Amino acid sequence: MPSLKDIKTQINSVGSTKKITSAMKMVAASKLRRSQEKAEAARPYSSRLEEMLSSLASSAASGEGIIKLLTGTDNDQNYIVVPVSADRGLCGGFNSSINRETFKLVKSLEGNGKKVQLMPVGKKSRDFFNRVMKDQIIESFVDLNVSSTGYASALNISNKLQELYFEGKFDKCILVFNKFKSAISQEVTQQQLIPLDVSNSEKEEEKENSSNAIYDYEPDEETILQDLLPKNVSIQIFKVLLESDAGEQGARMAAMDNATRNAGEMIDSLTLKYNRTRQAFITKELIEIISGAESI
Amino acid sequence: MATISFDLVSPENLIFNDDVGTIIVPGKDGDLGVLPGHSQVMSSLRPGRVMVYSEDKNLVKSFFVSGGFAEINPEKCIVLAESVVELNSLDKSSIEKEIEELGSKESKESEEQLSIAKAKLEAITVSFYDKI
Repeated sequence: MPSLKDIKTQINSVGSTKKITSAMKMVAASKLRRSQEKAEAARPYSSRLEEMLSSLASSAASGEGIIKLLTGTDNDQNYIVVPVSADRGLCGGFNSSINRETFKLVKSLEGNGKKVQLMPVGKKSRDFFNRVMKDQIIESFVDLNVSSTGYASALNISNKLQELYFEGKFDKCILVFNKFKSAISQEVTQQQLIPLDVSNSEKEEEKENSSNAIYDYEPDEETILQDLLPKNVSIQIFKVLLESDAGEQGARMAAMDNATRNAGEMIDSLTLKYNRTRQAFITKELIEIISGAESI
Repeated sequence: MATISFDLVSPENLIFNDDVGTIIVPGKDGDLGVLPGHSQVMSSLRPGRVMVYSEDKNLVKSFFVSGGFAEINPEKCIVLAESVVELNSLDKSSIEKEIEELGSKESKESEEQLSIAKAKLEAITVSFYDKI
């Protein structure tokens, strides 16, 4: 049976853990609010860009050069997969679900005879794939801090991807990231980034609008597309980074909330045990005194 | 006189959103003056000044954009720009320094930045469009 002192130290240590987790929870909650605002603020730009693109996309027949971002190369042998994880842990299943999903995707693509390369974003996925598929990593991005560096961080990734694409290093690029659904739930999502998937442009209503509208293009459709497509890649990445950032804070908040609750329960049960043991000691001493008195 | 609604959007946030009288945007093939009832145009932009005027033709705000796109229809003008700064927050000496630094490097990227910086310098030195 543990002594009273042992139980006391245990209660104290669980208590300080609880303090830490509840502080982390509160930090995550305030960061979540900020990331959500950032994600919100980025929405007008990306939705406008998508609208423009969908009205232009039809005019791109087949292509050379930049238009390839839309039409694709004629191959689909070489894939590049970009898992977007967090830089830090302690956020529940956030990182491991990304890694698991990416791993499955890579295996299934390889099963179909494709060649797959990886470009992990975030320390957690870089470290994971460094262990399991080291030779397939061509580049990794860590310490992005998208909420403070903003758009520039997305630009880096997008420039690298486009450079590789035009060198003919890959034919298709797939992003794997946590889509922010609500503060407590994230959904692992795959999105094809290159070539651009215009068929999934969501709003039917707007499509009708844009087909009614006959625009003059300056200088001409193709030139605009050539400007628009690379920007679209960057902005998609930016959007994904922001979503993932908000998701990370949400996941951390939920994980820390759980941890705080568990610590509370543990303290309760330890306190109960402490009191029982103390009671048992007192009873034992009383019995000893009484039986000693009787024997005189 | 009627007004036209004008949105200036950067990837990070919505910078300007209001009903205005006239906007001048730096189209790739030349500046576009946008008034209410403008025909539908989609244009890409070169680095330059975006000028916003009230209904009675007073300059309300002026921005520098490093490129982007404009979508114009009779009721609305939307400018998507990659980086936007307000013109009067730019400082001439720091831009000149930037140009000097960029001029010594030789890469495709710095060339692009150089042309943007030069346009920036031009944007704060010239004064046409201050009054229309």
